[in-house]
Amino acid sequence: MRDSGGNAPIRIIALVGNPNSGKTTLFNALTGLHQKVGNYPGVTVERKEGSIRLEGDADSTILDLPGTYSLMPGSPDEEIATEILLRKATHTPGPDVVVCVVDASHLERNLYLVSQIIDQGLPVVIALNMVDVAARAGFSINAKNLSHELGVPVIPTVASKGEGVAQLTQAILNTRTPSAKRQLWRLPETVQKETEELVGILRNVHRLPAPQALHEAISLLTTESSLLDRLDRYAPEVLAHVRKDHQKLDFLGYERRAVFVESRYAWIRSVCAISVTRTGGARKSRSDRIDAVLTHRLWGVVIFLALMALVFQAMFSWSTIPMDLIRKAFDGAGLWIESVMGPGDLRELIIHGGLAGVAAVVTFLPQILFLFLFLGLLEDTGYMARGALIMGRVMAKVGLSGKSFIPLLSSFACAIPGIMATRTIENPRDRIATILVAPLMSCSARLPVYALMIAAFIPQRSVFGVFSLAGITMFSMYFLGLSMALLMAWIFKKSLLSGAPPVFIIELPPYHLPSIRSLLQLMWERSRLFLRQAGTVILGASIVLWFLATYPKSDGGTPAQNLNRSFVGMAGHAIEPLIQPLGFDWKIGVGMVTSLIQREVFVSTMATMYNVQSEGGGTVSLPEKIRQEKNPETGAPSLTALTGICVMVYYVLAMQCFSTVAVVRRETNSWRWPLFQIGYMTALAYTVTFVVYRIGLVLGLGG
Amino acid sequence: MTLNDVPIGASVRIRRLGGRPEMSVRLRELGFCENAIIRCISRGYGSIICEVSHTRVGLDSTLARRIHVSQSE
Repeated sequence: MRDSGGNAPIRIIALVGNPNSGKTTLFNALTGLHQKVGNYPGVTVERKEGSIRLEGDADSTILDLPGTYSLMPGSPDEEIATEILLRKATHTPGPDVVVCVVDASHLERNLYLVSQIIDQGLPVVIALNMVDVAARAGFSINAKNLSHELGVPVIPTVASKGEGVAQLTQAILNTRTPSAKRQLWRLPETVQKETEELVGILRNVHRLPAPQALHEAISLLTTESSLLDRLDRYAPEVLAHVRKDHQKLDFLGYERRAVFVESRYAWIRSVCAISVTRTGGARKSRSDRIDAVLTHRLWGVVIFLALMALVFQAMFSWSTIPMDLIRKAFDGAGLWIESVMGPGDLRELIIHGGLAGVAAVVTFLPQILFLFLFLGLLEDTGYMARGALIMGRVMAKVGLSGKSFIPLLSSFACAIPGIMATRTIENPRDRIATILVAPLMSCSARLPVYALMIAAFIPQRSVFGVFSLAGITMFSMYFLGLSMALLMAWIFKKSLLSGAPPVFIIELPPYHLPSIRSLLQLMWERSRLFLRQAGTVILGASIVLWFLATYPKSDGGTPAQNLNRSFVGMAGHAIEPLIQPLGFDWKIGVGMVTSLIQREVFVSTMATMYNVQSEGGGTVSLPEKIRQEKNPETGAPSLTALTGICVMVYYVLAMQCFSTVAVVRRETNSWRWPLFQIGYMTALAYTVTFVVYRIGLVLGLGG
Repeated sequence: MTLNDVPIGASVRIRRLGGRPEMSVRLRELGFCENAIIRCISRGYGSIICEVSHTRVGLDSTLARRIHVSQSE
């Protein structure tokens, strides 16, 4: 129990609410720029913390808790919110005030969480958010009536426009005491009596404060009878009493699990009847009409596939124009440096070491931006959740639910946000399976590798008049990654992680037009990040590689022979036996090693090595140089279309990203899963590439 | 009948939830509790979209089969 009243300073304010209630927007409005992002210890769920200066008080901390539907948690991110509100968390002190963010257009469902929080006996302020959306949907909510019914202050807000934020701050400041009302909802008489009796016993035996005793009593009464034996933290007499209650309620015909939720909802309906008036008719909304088409049993799938095809076409046709411009700009810069600097090692270093490596990677910026633009659009318009629903059937076939689709789709951009997105998956086994296969989805870092190999080895030819052979090859690589991910998920769910088939339920946000500003911001941030990496990691790696490829200098001999005798040459020849069975030469081997820094470094590595060995310089493009590479002994081309395909297949399947390993370790809290992941993916990549190479040779593609 | 049998556009009342208890809890928290009114919005390949307490929710048909409903009037 909290001490009543007083003027103790408010130190910690917790922001809670359902997913999609606008909690984070309100958090931003309340804190301005005073935020920091961290992680809760133990589990990695992002923790957002900000500070706010309440009038006359010192700075207070605001915690943005992960969105949750209830205080009986279902997934890892919901658990965090529950632990903090129930004061069970050791890492974070309990909040002094709880701001409960309620989506006014979904009042009923949001009030469910509110009623649980009020039961906890914490001082609560309700931010009745998105009142503008509710008004447009035809509801008017009387905040005064609602506040009276709930016994806590209710402040209407429109967080996205900053409306009501000042009033909310004032209300936080004035709220020092919990609602005078407790357990506002009423159970059927017998159930209520049994619950109160159990609360009394829990308070006596385990010395629990009243709110926590109520929470645990409900939890005990709704548990499966067969699971009671495992709850050894309760005294035997408590469990004996619970068992008797179960028998009694079951005998009287109460559906124990339903009765508590239903009683809360019955109360919620009565509250809504008093505080909500319909101003508009229940017309068929725009979202209804869109959903009728986009999730249609036939059209939904067709549109989904057409959208995917469009993205690939966009990435490979439309992006060529900006890509050519970037390439020309870098060529121009190289020629300019050549004209102003005298010949020598420094000029070579700048042009062939730094510039060539960075240029090779930066050229792919437009393609990567297209990918992020598309994923951003899917998310922003509300289509992502529908995509998950459409793919639900396919995911169910491999033993996962549609919920796993969103992390997998995000992994097309990068496996790291994808793996973090698995937190919304309730079942731990499904979550691990999704994490294990997420890196098989081709991320944007693989894109430059595919594009280079395709430019070098896949002829420009159109297929059926509409598609290009290059586009189809690229699509095949993405498809290979996706189907391997699904296949491996199926195997894992059949063996290591077997469990009941998951059921799938997801809230679908209403459709809305994407915000151009937030999309532009997303693309700007992506570009900045990408260019910064190109300027640091890739530039550094290219320069180091240039030195290793140029020294020790040997006199005489062609540049190619010099490269052969350089440090890079020596290292490459050392690993060659390992990769020869896959049809790779030592230069690709060097690229495979350097891409452990980041996969796209493969491309800059190739650029640097081929530049060092080529005599003329800038006129011949990198794909051309790779194609013209001759085996020094036989004089035959040392790399063929088959090699190109094998390189791509290897990159689709191999785990080559340290950052992903680190994130998997954090998310699974052990080294077991990331090590297993490295092991299985390496074995898979090596085996499949080997098989593809052998079959290719038999078919005569290696010539 | 179950939620799977509800024609598009029709509103029905939930009678009973079957299936695994932990899933029923989640369903109830999302508003699919006994006596709630739900409206079927659209039906996809193996999935169904419906509206319950003004929220749009998508679920797979395996789950929808466990939601027993009756005519609301």
